[in-house]
Amino acid sequence: MSGRFPGGGRVAIAGFAHSAVQRRLDRSLGAITVEVARAAIADAGLAPEMIDGFVTSALFPTAGTHAVQDGISTVTANWLADRIGADPRYVASFQGVGQIPGSVALAVNAIAAGAADYVVLHRALHNPRGGYHDNSMTTAAGPQQWTAPQGYGGPLSMIALPYNEYLQRYKADPETMAAVVVEARKNGARIPWSYWFDRPLTTAEYLTAPMMSDPIRRLDCDIPVDGVATFVLTSAERARDLPHPPVYIAGYASSGPHRERLPSHWPLDDIMAGGCDTARRLWAATGLRPEDVDLPQLYDGFSPFVYFWLETLGLCPVGQAHRFVSDGGIDSDAPGALPVLSGGGALGNGRMHGIPQMLECYLQLSGRAGDRQRAATVGLACHSSPHYGGAVAYTREPL
Amino acid sequence: MTVTRPLPIPDDHSAGYWAAARRHTLALPRCARCHSFALPPSETCRHCGTFEPEFRFEAVSGTGRVRSWTMVRKASLLGFADQVPYLLVDVELSAQPGLRMIGRLLGEPADPHLDDPVQVVFEDVDDDISIPAFTLVRETPGRGDTPTGDEAGR
Repeated sequence: MSGRFPGGGRVAIAGFAHSAVQRRLDRSLGAITVEVARAAIADAGLAPEMIDGFVTSALFPTAGTHAVQDGISTVTANWLADRIGADPRYVASFQGVGQIPGSVALAVNAIAAGAADYVVLHRALHNPRGGYHDNSMTTAAGPQQWTAPQGYGGPLSMIALPYNEYLQRYKADPETMAAVVVEARKNGARIPWSYWFDRPLTTAEYLTAPMMSDPIRRLDCDIPVDGVATFVLTSAERARDLPHPPVYIAGYASSGPHRERLPSHWPLDDIMAGGCDTARRLWAATGLRPEDVDLPQLYDGFSPFVYFWLETLGLCPVGQAHRFVSDGGIDSDAPGALPVLSGGGALGNGRMHGIPQMLECYLQLSGRAGDRQRAATVGLACHSSPHYGGAVAYTREPL
Repeated sequence: MTVTRPLPIPDDHSAGYWAAARRHTLALPRCARCHSFALPPSETCRHCGTFEPEFRFEAVSGTGRVRSWTMVRKASLLGFADQVPYLLVDVELSAQPGLRMIGRLLGEPADPHLDDPVQVVFEDVDDDISIPAFTLVRETPGRGDTPTGDEAGR
């Protein structure tokens, strides 16, 4: 069994639209999503009544005690489909983690199978009032009872433990992570809709940022925002008749079953083993090799994910990501370096959850990146942790 | 509004754990088929695959080694907001290779290093509930862990 994805190159992105990214937008998330979806449909040269598929992942990714309200704190595919004026044949939502690759896979599979011809894929992210992950639980039932009474809860400590494990195991300097965050903010500062537009960061500013859960600083975390992005996907044949150059989906991989652990416990060995499995499936699905990818967009919702993706994808040796970064290996302005955060990532745009990675692949490979245009042919959009997420490979020409 | 520290709600899968903790004993779920420990217990045994693991809680010494740690300065669990900063340790228990547990690191010195030996201790949070935590062990604790098996049952 080769694992090669037979739908590779048969589906393409035909258009997109993106809202402003702000701490709080002045209209409801639902209203903005309808507006952005209509703009994306128009961008693709289509009309709303032509859209016959809607996909998303509607997860409101908070560990806090916030209400989930459709149209306010999240927007489901059904909610949007009901308001676009279409008669969809296919409406689906990805339920797992690695929301953007999971949603792309739903859209690609539906189009390749003929279940839908024109699919709107959206992601709507909301910043609730109060602390994003603040949780006021006073009792812990079910899985939480094994960790919350002990004081372990929320993603700050979740990522701090494997990151510290990495620092200890490879004797890495925590100050090296400044290069990751500064790189993300440098690129995000060049993107007009980014929360961090025109606001690059210095190494000194990074190093004076407060610790949240050592060695995780505030600036190692993407900032919660309101923001919406929408893409329109269709078959490669149909896309070639539309206004913009298509960007083809070569294949995708989602991380597989992972070892059961305490809630939110991600030992470094789990991340690496599961991540290497994800990467192996991705290369098998696409026929690509790490050296074929000239636009790898790594997930950076927490900065240590950049190290973990670099190593699990085979873009540098295991245990060497911190040296690769400190040697200038991810500087998007340096010839020969890997532009892994050229789209600004989550740290440079705001908590848009895998959208910046997908959007950078689309903009660069379709030739729509404007002043930021690069000569790229194969992009990779990663999301979440390598062992608990996924990745999609995009190409300028169908593979 | 003051939010209090979250307290466990014991259930069919955990009652033996919390009952032992109240006696300041760490008792972990052990598969009746393959005798592997599993934390947390599940509907199946992840080691031998049986879907009738009939987990029983058996006392272990509660020794282990520090695999990682973090100083929590921003508590997402609001019930711990008045306790920051506090240390959490990620411990590999000597009861079984790869068996990991997370708890607070209590006592002095509060300066963990990789592979430091630790011992489970318990915080009595009210009359009925004690929460496992860890403390650093100055000297290397002789032999490894030998599950005694005399705390079986729940």
